[in-house]
Amino acid sequence: MLFVAVLFGIFASAEMWKPELSGGIAALTWGRLRYDHTQGILFGWLGNAFFAFLYHAVPILTGRPVTSNTLGRWMFGIWNFAIVIPGWTLVLAGFSQPLEWAEFPVVVDIFVVLALLLALIQFLPVFFKDGLEDTYVAGWYVIGGLVFTTLSYPMGNFVPEFLPGARGAAFSGLWIHDAVGLFVTPLALAIIYYVIPASTGRPVYSHFLSMLGFWLLFFLYPLNGTHHYVFSVIPMDAQKGAILASSLLGVDVIIVVANLFLSLRGTGWFARDLPLRFVATATMFYLIVSIQGSLQAQMAINGTVHFTDWVIGHSHLAMLGFATFAAAGGLTHAWRKMPGARFNPRAVEWAYWLITTGLLLMFVDLTAAGLIEAREWKAQTPWIDSVRAVRGYWIFRTATALPITAGFVALLAGLLTGDRVGESR
Amino acid sequence: MKSLRMSYLVAGLGGVGFFAMSVLLLGVWPGRVLEEETRRTSPKNPLALTVSEKRGRQIYAREGCAYCHTQQIRQLDADTVRFGKSTAVWETQFDYPHLWGTRRIGPDLSREGSLHSEDWQLTHLYSPQAVVPDSVMPAFPALFDGAPDRPLQGARDVVTYLAGLGYARALAEPEIALKKTSGPPANGDDAYAHNCAGCHGPHGEGDGPAAAGLSPKPANLVEHEYTEAHVITVLERGIRGSSMQAWRGLPHHDIAHTVRGFYRPVREPAPPPAIRDLGKQVYADHCAQCHGENGDGKGSAAPEVRMAPTDFTSERPTPAETLRALRQGVAGTPMAPWNTKLSEAELSAVAYYVRGFYR
Repeated sequence: MLFVAVLFGIFASAEMWKPELSGGIAALTWGRLRYDHTQGILFGWLGNAFFAFLYHAVPILTGRPVTSNTLGRWMFGIWNFAIVIPGWTLVLAGFSQPLEWAEFPVVVDIFVVLALLLALIQFLPVFFKDGLEDTYVAGWYVIGGLVFTTLSYPMGNFVPEFLPGARGAAFSGLWIHDAVGLFVTPLALAIIYYVIPASTGRPVYSHFLSMLGFWLLFFLYPLNGTHHYVFSVIPMDAQKGAILASSLLGVDVIIVVANLFLSLRGTGWFARDLPLRFVATATMFYLIVSIQGSLQAQMAINGTVHFTDWVIGHSHLAMLGFATFAAAGGLTHAWRKMPGARFNPRAVEWAYWLITTGLLLMFVDLTAAGLIEAREWKAQTPWIDSVRAVRGYWIFRTATALPITAGFVALLAGLLTGDRVGESR
Repeated sequence: MKSLRMSYLVAGLGGVGFFAMSVLLLGVWPGRVLEEETRRTSPKNPLALTVSEKRGRQIYAREGCAYCHTQQIRQLDADTVRFGKSTAVWETQFDYPHLWGTRRIGPDLSREGSLHSEDWQLTHLYSPQAVVPDSVMPAFPALFDGAPDRPLQGARDVVTYLAGLGYARALAEPEIALKKTSGPPANGDDAYAHNCAGCHGPHGEGDGPAAAGLSPKPANLVEHEYTEAHVITVLERGIRGSSMQAWRGLPHHDIAHTVRGFYRPVREPAPPPAIRDLGKQVYADHCAQCHGENGDGKGSAAPEVRMAPTDFTSERPTPAETLRALRQGVAGTPMAPWNTKLSEAELSAVAYYVRGFYR
């Protein structure tokens, strides 16, 4: 799923400097590939990776098995064969919604809501059996992530179909942020909070800071959405409120990340364990991308960089840097606990460096491209000048897909080759 | 432990409360404000989308057009100078779902309707690079039957939808943004190559890759002498009824310099007085109604025709081009062929005569 989603992205990025690549075939034009790229990353890769990790972590966190194996098979079937694959196919065939992070058509959205409800049944009751006093912070993030995703999903995917224009856009803005903030972020943080103590054998630095970070995140994140439409017709007070919440969110992320890095201090995390290195790197990216997010919500900066490639760089830092590194760390960690699974540390080491290099190059490249576009727009040069000015940057961006994709191949190889876990060398 | 449980209960309710608050504060409340504002500011009978526009909008949505072309002009100079007044809420009252977009690779299309003609749009949709050489927009040949002038229903719908964008706003509050330029012209070759050559051709011969799909054809700049003021006015306003759009934001002076440079003057002997008199007579009888007694394009019938008649005081075609227009008419414009009504001698005479208006 990850590879298909990445291929959609690579093709779309190449069509940005060589549009005739689509060969005039409607299903291969930029717009449809762009829809499938982001939905594929969200559902196909991150969704599957998160659920897989929950099957490892939830029983250990609660000391009880998840609700039902049969239910698990149904969830897997629905997620992949009623959501991802039909979603992709329908988008390519021309059935979709022009709404960001909600491109799959409404009929697929119904199955997403169903799958999310099933996930609540599957993973949550075990947490409530003993009351919540002893619930570890990773468990809290699992509960929060699943509950709030289920609450917010219909808002972004159904409401704009019924409310026109600016009124619908207000809800779209909320979902654009909630998809990242209430689904991806909590589940990625759950992985990070889980893998760090599990690998180092030390508890997190402060449970109080963990809890403070958790609750602040869930209080603040939903209030961010409108910062995607600054200087729009949406009431200025709503815009300003969202910008204020965005600033406070930066403070919250500093609390969370400080707690995580204090937990890592003195553990030799870089050399100690590959999954641990992935989640620690994810934590760094989380800090960078969140501070960047708080800054670019500010009106002065937003006015300049909004609509440019700068934001595309930001979202890759979030979904690839933060979420994918966390997911890769969580999956490799869980994988090695499975009896009989193979693990090839050299390949995973390669994966780490290849993906890191590719991501950083892409991020720098897109950020620079965004600033160039912003300058051309402000200078009121002919529109096409802003396209010509960044063409080279777009070509380079496609080239950065090479190390990233190679890194994913290496990651897969790392899980399929090498010694079996438990075998002695 | 009971206190801890209580505090989690409170926090949990608080979390759900904050989520509900976000929906109320950033979703429902702005919605009510916007609804009220729509009621207050919208024109009495707002233009809803026609059936064709709705179908075109669906194609626009499914092809991801909104992911490169925003339809949201922000309240910022960088946006309003280029695209016009910022988006008002009533303009979006028929958008289910909205197409605001969050990335701008191509220009904002909120006010696209007034900028380009239908055949320009069709040609552009069929092959964007034909019209805008450096464009990175995907082509949509699947909406056509093999050529830009043979659109299928889908292409017609998209173009109808685009033509309506901003129309309601233009009716409600017309906006004229003319850019003042001054100082000596610089070299406009580069701006010409990247913005004009798609239609007018690399050397101004009217043979760019987009020309095939356009009617009337792009002007052959080699065959026309223009005053500088004329080129600048055309760049500022476009030519209604043709594919020539208003080019806000281009360096008008510089491009005028380049365009005027394409003209190749031809030697022409002064016609004998008898011919000049014949030309004057023919012009007064047949041409002045549209082109005006003084050749300024302001004849009594000028307001009735679809396109403004040529103003010969600021635009002078070569004799060969003038004769061609007289004999064959100009396809796609109200200029009809005159070869059946006038004799060869009369045609030549009037062709010479109109060239005398140029100042």
